[in-house]
Amino acid sequence: MATLLQPEKVLYLVRGEKKIRVPLSQLYFCRYCSELRSLECVSHEVDSHFCPSCLENMPSAEAKLKKNRCANCFDCPCCMHTLSTRATNIPAPLPDDPTKTTMKKAYYLACGFCRWTSRDVGMADKSVASGGWQEPENPHTQRINKLIEYYQQLAQREKLERDRKKLARRRPFMPQAFSEKYGLGTRLQRQRSGAPISALYGLSLKEGEDQKEITIEPAQALDEVEPLPEDYYTRPVNLPEVTTLRQRLLQPDFQPAGASQLHPRHKHLLMKRSLRCRKCEHNLSKPEFNPTSIKFKIQLVAVQTLFTLSGLTITVLQCVLALCCVLVPSKELVLSGKDAAAEYDELAEPQGFQDDPDVVAFRKSNKIGFFIKVVPQREEGDVTVAFKLRHDFRNLAAPIRPTEEGEATSEAIWLTHHVELSLGPLAT
Amino acid sequence: MPLFEGLGSGGEKTAVVIDLGAAYTKCGFAGETGPRFIIPSEIKHAGSPEAVRVVQYNINTEELYSILKEFVHLLYFRHLLVNPRDRRVVIVESILCPSHFRETLSRVFFKHFEVPSVLFAPSHLMSVMTLGIQSALVMDCGYTETLIYEGIPILSAWEALPMGGKAIHKELHSLLSEQCTLDTDSGPGLSLPTVISAIPEDVVEDIKVRTCFVSDLQRGMKIQEAKFNLDGSAERPAPPPDVEYPLDGRKILHIKGSISFPSIHFVCSVFVPRQCPIDTRKVLSENLVIIGGTSMLPGFLHRLLSEIRSLVEKPKYRDALATKSFRIHSPPAKPNCTAWLGGAIFGALQDILGSRSVSRDYYNQTGRIPDWCCLSTPLPDSVYEAGKTPPPLMKRAFSTEK
Repeated sequence: MATLLQPEKVLYLVRGEKKIRVPLSQLYFCRYCSELRSLECVSHEVDSHFCPSCLENMPSAEAKLKKNRCANCFDCPCCMHTLSTRATNIPAPLPDDPTKTTMKKAYYLACGFCRWTSRDVGMADKSVASGGWQEPENPHTQRINKLIEYYQQLAQREKLERDRKKLARRRPFMPQAFSEKYGLGTRLQRQRSGAPISALYGLSLKEGEDQKEITIEPAQALDEVEPLPEDYYTRPVNLPEVTTLRQRLLQPDFQPAGASQLHPRHKHLLMKRSLRCRKCEHNLSKPEFNPTSIKFKIQLVAVQTLFTLSGLTITVLQCVLALCCVLVPSKELVLSGKDAAAEYDELAEPQGFQDDPDVVAFRKSNKIGFFIKVVPQREEGDVTVAFKLRHDFRNLAAPIRPTEEGEATSEAIWLTHHVELSLGPLAT
Repeated sequence: MPLFEGLGSGGEKTAVVIDLGAAYTKCGFAGETGPRFIIPSEIKHAGSPEAVRVVQYNINTEELYSILKEFVHLLYFRHLLVNPRDRRVVIVESILCPSHFRETLSRVFFKHFEVPSVLFAPSHLMSVMTLGIQSALVMDCGYTETLIYEGIPILSAWEALPMGGKAIHKELHSLLSEQCTLDTDSGPGLSLPTVISAIPEDVVEDIKVRTCFVSDLQRGMKIQEAKFNLDGSAERPAPPPDVEYPLDGRKILHIKGSISFPSIHFVCSVFVPRQCPIDTRKVLSENLVIIGGTSMLPGFLHRLLSEIRSLVEKPKYRDALATKSFRIHSPPAKPNCTAWLGGAIFGALQDILGSRSVSRDYYNQTGRIPDWCCLSTPLPDSVYEAGKTPPPLMKRAFSTEK
């Protein structure tokens, strides 16, 4: 059992790609494969996006469009806290009568933690509370788009050639150079009238094509770079004015060196994850859609479906030098199933199980305590006990197929788990 | 418009572009103008205060696998917020990356995250793609090394120097320990080693980024002379004023203005393209591209150009290089994102991205990824075409030109 204070006393062995030992609270149980799964052997998927400050769910199409950023919330560029919108009253002239002034509301962004405001970077106050704030645009966007179009054209050509070569290869009786020049090429030319074949040598744009040709100017190199301003040598550095590396990297497009150019960015979203078994592709865990809900639509955690081992009262017998050996009860122990209502029933009747008092310590609804004798075989150090636990598992939630008898029964499968208990250091 | 490409306009989803650097990782989507996030390449565990570096070449495969797995998990589920199974991956990497690192990384992507395909793109070639020119001399001043490389990759002509941001940090750290004083509650003017044993790396990085700059050539030469001049006849130019840097709120570190170091000189001396064929030297020297975060120090580019120009006058290089003109390009992105941008541009070419990547099926069949130094990989058919000039877009260059 893993509790808050004793995280890893009881570990279960999970056989995935590698063998790892994990407490049961971190495991899932795939009831279709009837095996334990840890976080390493399931595949994670993004389920839904939401904003961590306004807790609003965002559909994935919109999230993609907005680059996974919330439309309403902003982050402080100095300390990454969430910005709040504040309102002030400013005098503004009335539209009808320029001489009279009324108070109008103006909104600005402010950080409650580091006292940064949008006025520090020169952003004008807006007249609407939300939706008025824009992020600055990257000045190189157009050039980059042009470059992409140009390269896409080259890529299309390469793809055409590749396809043409594939077709040419299907006629092995023709030598390759021949077919490219005459056979297939002319056929293609006839099919696409009006589109001349580009030369095979090189993918440059020197041949004329009647289709829209995209050329770009190659970048011009500069002879001179601007030198360091002279006052670097004499001016004392004003540290609060210079941005830290972390602040700069929050805005990768601009990376401003001065704090007066730090613009706020929209808040980045968080996501909810769903887990899927890799072998049978069934969902093991699927959270709810609503960001404020902590429940799950599907939750196949091991703690609920299997049973847990916890708490130990041990009797230590002797010390012998070797590995630790354990004497386990040789009989099967019978445990009644989990009954949720019985938790609240204080006067539970004895359930009629005949227990051997040497083996079973106590029994209550679906809990049982039994004795294990542990013989540590080293004089000092931590004692770890490993044993295999075998139990039968009835898959009650499996889809009920109507059988001929009309009964809904499910078979019991026997599962074996390798468990390790760490009992702590020996008292010297 | 690239913005609407992903909305089911008939193509596949945009690829994920990742540039795993030694100090920082840039990640984002293909077709965009800048990376979504630039995050430090390290993982923080709950127990230990020190973060674990992701890009390490000396640790064993199992540990590297689990570190990379955790890091890529963070990238996908905290920063990019997409499913790994849906999108192709473009990894921008340095040519000098050791094979076992690359193989472990591809194992993480294919086995654990089950991505459809992975493309390893050389970072220098990608930076040239952002300019629209055919060839250039690319210098990458990163964290661990400085690498000089040609576009239309001539693989025999590269040079690398173990001098990057890390060396600057180390030098700065030692100079700070020697020369600076610390003000704490107990009293002013204490020397650094008495109070704290070592300045943490991120503090040194912060000091470097915010307060350091590269001075111009004349000043640099004077400082050099003053350093090595034993009889004190050469004069140091007046140092810039001191900076008071607050450490931990209570302590204030006084940084003397006179800290400087001559590493720029070393970097420039290997810059001259001696190893390239003679006919390309002129073209290359007129097309210089500088990428990498360390080159964003104020004054770096100007100093680099002036050093080159002064070095070319020296007899050692004068014969090697007939040309005297050197020109620097300015790519449409910051130097630390240029290689990423090239990868994003390439990743947007959906027609050929598929054919040039290593697909998951291929990886499952062969169990490894093709590497430029490995001759047992069968060449793609296109290389057998006689007389065909290779296009400027290449996954790995098997150039027969020398």
